[in-house]
Amino acid sequence: MSVVLALVALVLFPGGLFVIFGSLAFEYADRKLVARFQNRVGPRWFQPLADLVKLLVKEEIVPVGVNRGLFNGLPLAALAASLTAALYVPMAGIAPAWGFRGDLVVTVYLLMMMTLCIGLAGANTQDRFSLIGSTRALTQLFSYEAPFLLALLGPSIAAGTWRISEVNGYAREHIWMIVTQPLGFLVALIGLMGKLELPPFDAPEAETEIVSGALTEYSGRGLAFFHLGRDVELLVGLTLISAFYLGGLGNPLHFILKTLVLLFVTAGLQSLFARLRIDQTVGLWWRAGAVLALVQLLLLIVLKILGVRL
Amino acid sequence: MSVETDFLRIQGSVAPWVSGSRTAENRLDMDTSAERLVPAVTALRSLSWGYLSAITGFDSGTAAPSDGHIELLYHFCNGPAVATFRVKVPREDPSVPSIGPLVPSAVMYERELAETMGVKVAGLPKKRQFLSDDWPENVYPLRKDFTMESAAATREVGPAVGSEEAPGTFIIPIGPQHPALKEPGHFELAVDGEIVTHADIRLGYVHRGIEKGAEDRSWVHNIYLMERICGICSHIHATAYVLGVESLSGVAVPPRAQTVRTIFCEMERIHSHLLWLGVAAHQAGFDTLFMYSWRDRETIMDLLEELSGNRVNYSVNLLGGVKYDIDGKAADSVRRGLDFLERRTTHYLKIVTTDESFLRRTRGVGAITFDQANLLGTIGPTARASGVSRDLRVEAPYMAYRDFPVRPVLDSRCDLEARFVVRINELFESYRLIREMLDHMPAGELAVPAPRKVPEGEVISRVEAPRGELFYYIRSTGGVKPDRVKVRTPSLCNWAAVLSVAVGHKLADIPMIMVGIDPCFSCNDRSITLRRRGSAESWSWEDLRAYGISYYAGGGA
Amino acid sequence: MAQSTLKGIPRALRGALDKVALWSRINSPWLVHFNSGSCNGCDIEILATLAPRYDLERFGVKLQGSPRHADVLICTGPVTRLARERLLRTYEQMPVPKFVVAVGSCSITGGAFHGCYNIVGDIGDVIPVDVYVPGCPPRPEAIIDGVVQLLTKLKGGAPAKAPEADARLGGGS
Ligand code: SF4
Repeated sequence: MSVVLALVALVLFPGGLFVIFGSLAFEYADRKLVARFQNRVGPRWFQPLADLVKLLVKEEIVPVGVNRGLFNGLPLAALAASLTAALYVPMAGIAPAWGFRGDLVVTVYLLMMMTLCIGLAGANTQDRFSLIGSTRALTQLFSYEAPFLLALLGPSIAAGTWRISEVNGYAREHIWMIVTQPLGFLVALIGLMGKLELPPFDAPEAETEIVSGALTEYSGRGLAFFHLGRDVELLVGLTLISAFYLGGLGNPLHFILKTLVLLFVTAGLQSLFARLRIDQTVGLWWRAGAVLALVQLLLLIVLKILGVRL
Repeated sequence: MSVETDFLRIQGSVAPWVSGSRTAENRLDMDTSAERLVPAVTALRSLSWGYLSAITGFDSGTAAPSDGHIELLYHFCNGPAVATFRVKVPREDPSVPSIGPLVPSAVMYERELAETMGVKVAGLPKKRQFLSDDWPENVYPLRKDFTMESAAATREVGPAVGSEEAPGTFIIPIGPQHPALKEPGHFELAVDGEIVTHADIRLGYVHRGIEKGAEDRSWVHNIYLMERICGICSHIHATAYVLGVESLSGVAVPPRAQTVRTIFCEMERIHSHLLWLGVAAHQAGFDTLFMYSWRDRETIMDLLEELSGNRVNYSVNLLGGVKYDIDGKAADSVRRGLDFLERRTTHYLKIVTTDESFLRRTRGVGAITFDQANLLGTIGPTARASGVSRDLRVEAPYMAYRDFPVRPVLDSRCDLEARFVVRINELFESYRLIREMLDHMPAGELAVPAPRKVPEGEVISRVEAPRGELFYYIRSTGGVKPDRVKVRTPSLCNWAAVLSVAVGHKLADIPMIMVGIDPCFSCNDRSITLRRRGSAESWSWEDLRAYGISYYAGGGA
Repeated sequence: MAQSTLKGIPRALRGALDKVALWSRINSPWLVHFNSGSCNGCDIEILATLAPRYDLERFGVKLQGSPRHADVLICTGPVTRLARERLLRTYEQMPVPKFVVAVGSCSITGGAFHGCYNIVGDIGDVIPVDVYVPGCPPRPEAIIDGVVQLLTKLKGGAPAKAPEADARLGGGS
């Protein structure tokens, strides 16, 4: 029985198909919102699906001089990592499929895989644009992953556990942590946008500076996997943040409402700001993000030691 | 100081090196020779008067290769005044010294002469720069004996003399189809980490050979061709051309026609500046601003369409007048459109001067100092944003600008932000001008007949395009076709400034800096007048620096 | 348009998959823009189709920076001597299936620049063109219509081939 359940969890829900379609829906919502903010009509509802399928059936050109295995394997690894991460979060407001002590750390690492794979993919293709793009992706890895991680630590320290489901449970029974830890929330949200290279943090693929960043040479399947992987990450990231900071996720309704509100906010941020230069991104993060998150963390620990109930 | 006293002063100081000089309205022509050119230019420079605006060459010979001569015209401009050194060189062996060491910006024009006219300019780098590698030897398209057959040949191409990568640098080619550039152009930037250490530019991808093409078309047909030099500033090209031709044939254009032309010029400036604002915002990654400014730009496009029936190439001009009238009803819709745009423009001005994330990309970035701008012969809004007051509408009013004076818009901050502010403030000035012209539109004819043949003579026609001074030299031998049409477009002058400020900046700033001058490749390429193709041969930054002209890298090659 | 991905799959299923592939292709045309010598008139009108008034994203159209990511090459201008090589290279870099839309009179015949010494020909002389959009420049509506024509053509079956142009491609004319 448990084998069947495990399979279902992997292939249908909450893993596999559900996550894929869910994340496509999120991409649609994101693009539509940005288009509306820009006074445009925006894409149709099936647009992300059409894009995905089209890329899948397109010719995949493998440039000469690259390591074929890596070239084909990296997109798969990136997608697999983000799909795996989806198993540990309270997807759709339902308790995570898997969980163990410390799964938060594993999830965060899995979410980092994506950036790493993009960076490697760019370095592998030996195209000049790709190389610069991947250097930038890796630079950003250091600049936003750390604050993002620190920002997720806040709620878990408050809850006293490294287990995502327990943090979620704790969040549901207490006052929303966006109120008690507003800084952490901000850092987490913007950190997520940085991870996903959404504007204004999209320097790694800043179209006008270096064509399409690390992925310049990918044409078909590889590109599709990277795109999908990023969509899944968006979904996972939003789920995590709403589970931690917006009073936890108890049921699908919670999930839909809270993540959509977050999406609205990120889409707004995307349309409002000019792209940050890469050094400005890094500087901003280390100076503001990391410091803010650290300050908050210290405060939490002190309060905890003092025995203040949060 | 009046133009006449200026001219007297110039004549006085260059007298030993010129064999004769003539003045006409705002023009001073001085004959000199290849040997005396350098001291003559030195004397002129020592007066610190004006800037080199263009070098024209024309072939006065017949089809026989051995007779006749090539005449070179070095035009220096200052406000309305144009001082020209004329040098005649034999067609057999046309050679002149380079004035590059004195006037850095000359190098680009000299290359053009060397390759299109076959003038040997001593002291220029040996490399081929403007012509494609396989362009046949000794075939010069702007000579009168040029035939299409002779161009069909090719020459042996050696291995591409590409950009040798210096160790430790990393060369990023930008273009020719790079999303930062809606038009093709080729840049090579060497970067060290994220810092640009070397910038190189090559144009020519959209060089079509229009100057030669003009010699095969009738005076009227050419209006159509000139309009298509650039689709963004189409009307101003046609206007510069017809103004020149009209003055050659002595046609007095009715005031109403002049006013209509001027209104179109200003409307074109509005559409061009809004377009630029959007593209520049896009370079900054600020797509929302791009979308909004392009949405609002549709207002002016609609008005242009309402007045002329076309959105882009309006085809307003005739020799001797205009095709379209602006009646009361049309004027009202223009006013309404302008009211809307004025509100939006106020909003944009606020955004570009207050939005933090935008200012990070523009404030203090890409500064061109007053001296640099002055020395490099920068023109148009780029110059005005560095405090250099160069605007022909103000200095040498033409058409309806005589009756409706323009207030110059200046800014002394020199950086990218200033370039945004200047252009946006110019929008307000254009709104005001158009309203005024609509309110005081002179009555009368729209066009008078112009002769089919244009009397012998030559004329210089300079107008203020959205990007700066546009220079036309037109020469007629009394026939139904021009003998020579030389076009020097604004962007060409401003490339120097871009390349000089690019080095030392972050790679990420480069698109913004490039776009800051509102470059227009199709304009450049027609004026560079040469094609080149395929393999990498470019004039490197280092070559030029060695040449004492670190700014004019590559001269569009 | 055989897809290597579909090899070894039963016939019936393959038919269905083909339909899905076609559907996705029709609904997700990504463009890459190439200017081979135009006056910019056409280029600004292409850009205008992306702006709010016309908003091509409604139809799934996206402007891409890299030819590797694009399905449709949208060309403007006559082909100059220098741009010819680059145009060919851009076309070759695109993964199949790929289509070409030539925008503007001068991309069709050379237009105003016909006979100028640096023009080697029109777009069709260099790469196979699927749809021509005439006009100098065509209105944004006409450009959108051109893209729609292309999609309609796709629905009707395989896009028309231009064998001579293919041969030229190989021969390098
Ligand atoms: S068709 Fe007309 S508008 Fe378009 S690029 Fe050619 S000349 Fe310019």
